[in-house]
Amino acid sequence: MFFELIRLQYLKSVRSTSFAKSLMTNILLGFLVVLLLGYVLGAGLLLKRIIGALAEDQDPLVVLNSYLIYYFLFEFMYRYFIQKLPVVELESLLHLPIGKTRIMHILLLRSFISPLSIISLLLFLPFSLDVVASQFGGLASGFWLGSILLTSWTIHWFMLWFKQRFEDSIIGLIVVFGALLLGGGSSYMGWFNLGEIMKPVFDFSIQSPIPIMILALVMCFSYWLAYRFYLSNAYLEDLSDEEDVRFVNQSIGFLSKFGLPGEIANLEWKLIIRHKKSRTILMLSGFFLLYGLIFYNNPAYQSEPGEIYPLFIFVGAFITGIFMIQYGQQFLSWNSSNFDFFLNRKDGIEALVKGKYLLLVSVSVICFLASVPYAFFGWQFLFIHLATFLFNVGILIHVIIYFALWKPKPMDLNKGAMFNYEGVGAAQFLIVIPMMAGPYLIYLPFSMLIGDYAGLLALGIVGIIGLLGFKKLAQINIDRIKSNRYEISSSFRQEL
Amino acid sequence: MIQVSNLKKQYKEAVVLDVDHLEIPNSECFGLVGNNGAGKTTLFRIMLDLVRATSGTVKINEEDVSKSEVWKAKTGAYLDEHMLLVYLTPDEYFETLRKIYGMSVADLELHLSKFTDLFNDEILGKKKYIRDLSKGNLKKVGIAAALMGNPEVVFLDEPFENLDPSSQIRLKKLFLQEKENSQVTFLISSHDLNHVTEICDRIVLLEKGKIIRDLREKAEMMAELEAYFTG
Repeated sequence: MFFELIRLQYLKSVRSTSFAKSLMTNILLGFLVVLLLGYVLGAGLLLKRIIGALAEDQDPLVVLNSYLIYYFLFEFMYRYFIQKLPVVELESLLHLPIGKTRIMHILLLRSFISPLSIISLLLFLPFSLDVVASQFGGLASGFWLGSILLTSWTIHWFMLWFKQRFEDSIIGLIVVFGALLLGGGSSYMGWFNLGEIMKPVFDFSIQSPIPIMILALVMCFSYWLAYRFYLSNAYLEDLSDEEDVRFVNQSIGFLSKFGLPGEIANLEWKLIIRHKKSRTILMLSGFFLLYGLIFYNNPAYQSEPGEIYPLFIFVGAFITGIFMIQYGQQFLSWNSSNFDFFLNRKDGIEALVKGKYLLLVSVSVICFLASVPYAFFGWQFLFIHLATFLFNVGILIHVIIYFALWKPKPMDLNKGAMFNYEGVGAAQFLIVIPMMAGPYLIYLPFSMLIGDYAGLLALGIVGIIGLLGFKKLAQINIDRIKSNRYEISSSFRQEL
Repeated sequence: MIQVSNLKKQYKEAVVLDVDHLEIPNSECFGLVGNNGAGKTTLFRIMLDLVRATSGTVKINEEDVSKSEVWKAKTGAYLDEHMLLVYLTPDEYFETLRKIYGMSVADLELHLSKFTDLFNDEILGKKKYIRDLSKGNLKKVGIAAALMGNPEVVFLDEPFENLDPSSQIRLKKLFLQEKENSQVTFLISSHDLNHVTEICDRIVLLEKGKIIRDLREKAEMMAELEAYFTG
């Protein structure tokens, strides 16, 4: 039965109409997964040396044990964003004469077959063989590694429960932020050192089998928690998330001042708020506002006064344009399920495109305003953001949309955004090139010949020129949609 | 009102639609029938410029539909849910259309009041997205939307499908009223021969993309169609 269901799953993905088209994407993704796991294994092999380099003259095992809890907090975070819930297949199974308990076990176990489950193994196996085994013997290293794996897998089952229970709710976000704060914030602020508190647990696991047994029980409990929850909610209405309309009913008032395109921008805003995939992207844009913290205050990227570290241009373009880049690269795919609606209105396409432009620019303005506090690190960052912002809304927006209109693909907005490559084709990968190279194409010549601020000025002026020619540039994209309207609408009408 | 000439749609070798000539005068109720795969929806989609014709033209009000967009202001259509914004509630959807068509709030109220019976208190004022409505209610929203903005032509694909019997009867009444009051030209495709013969002045039968009957005599319609479909 288990293998039969796996086979069905396999057939489903192979026979979906988008598979053949996105074969390249899939191969690329598979390659990426192998590559990432390879990196993890590499990090595992070098773990002893890395710790040695970071904390000299200390026992690497002691250091590692005191930081393990942060690793698990981090794992909690990435699992929250990446891990997929197994309920998607439930619909087509529930009516069959297979016991519910059995379906649930199968679905839960299936979810365990994932690259995420072996990350901990790859990362810590070399260390346990190399360091722990040589110091304490094979059995102890087995206990130690076992405790780590069991903790990681406990998080797996716990996450299945947690995500289904709290996803998209305020509580879920608070817990995730709490985990982040607890992990990074507490020891940084010096309230208490979480690592030191949890260290004895992992130290103890080397000496005795008790922790591994307790952790095994905890894992069983977390599996049971997920299992109970899914079993008692194994109804279509419970697991498919029906949302509360009232919460997400807000229109943005000022947009309606822009006439029909403003109306469409408002519609688009509702579309973003009411679908999972777009909501995640919006949330990520918020996170990426913090992107600058990694770079701007980093001693590795400091430069002389009056000069600007070249990488910052990219960071600035990213901070002020992340939503534009992420949302814009699938420009029309967002409307794949209602494209005919716009086709069928007089001037519907113009209104749709202009409305989207309006929304993208508005969000960009908000991102720019929200990034103003970076001036705290130095005024140059304000100038960088202003220049890249102007360039983004003047030039880059048209370029991204131009690329995005190359064979747009349909997608289902109710699926999560992480590792969901629906609607992604070669064009979406190619967009990276103008996005990265575009600003430098303008900036570098001026900065090398005259000075860094001249480069920024050039970037800003080019952006303003683009803004002045906004109508003409937007018209190019509108015309492109109009001339390809049959192909686009027929590809959107296909099943996913 | 509508002229179709030498229209052909071809996918590679297969010809799915081949209409030499079809003329639909103003305020006619035009019924389109035919078995699955006869090309009914394709014909409607081409007439609405949603699918490209391989050759030939469709003109609405003397305008080639693939060349201009002016006709869209006076054309309403509901073919499938791709024509709805399913992430809105019905109220929001009608409100959006109101703004698009430039109607006043009173206009919208007047328009929706015609649908009170059909909606049966299940559509308006409910906190439910269109995507969560039942198929029948989805159809009602689509039909009410297609009739907004005083269209001169209305295209409906299988309007009776998924509706309960009382809704079907109410919908028929609504069509007859609209025809009477505002001279709307209806183009309706349907599998329900009883309904379509009752409301339509003319019925065209498609088979494998070709028009094989063009019936205008109310008295003979039903008998002819029954003879054809029983084979």
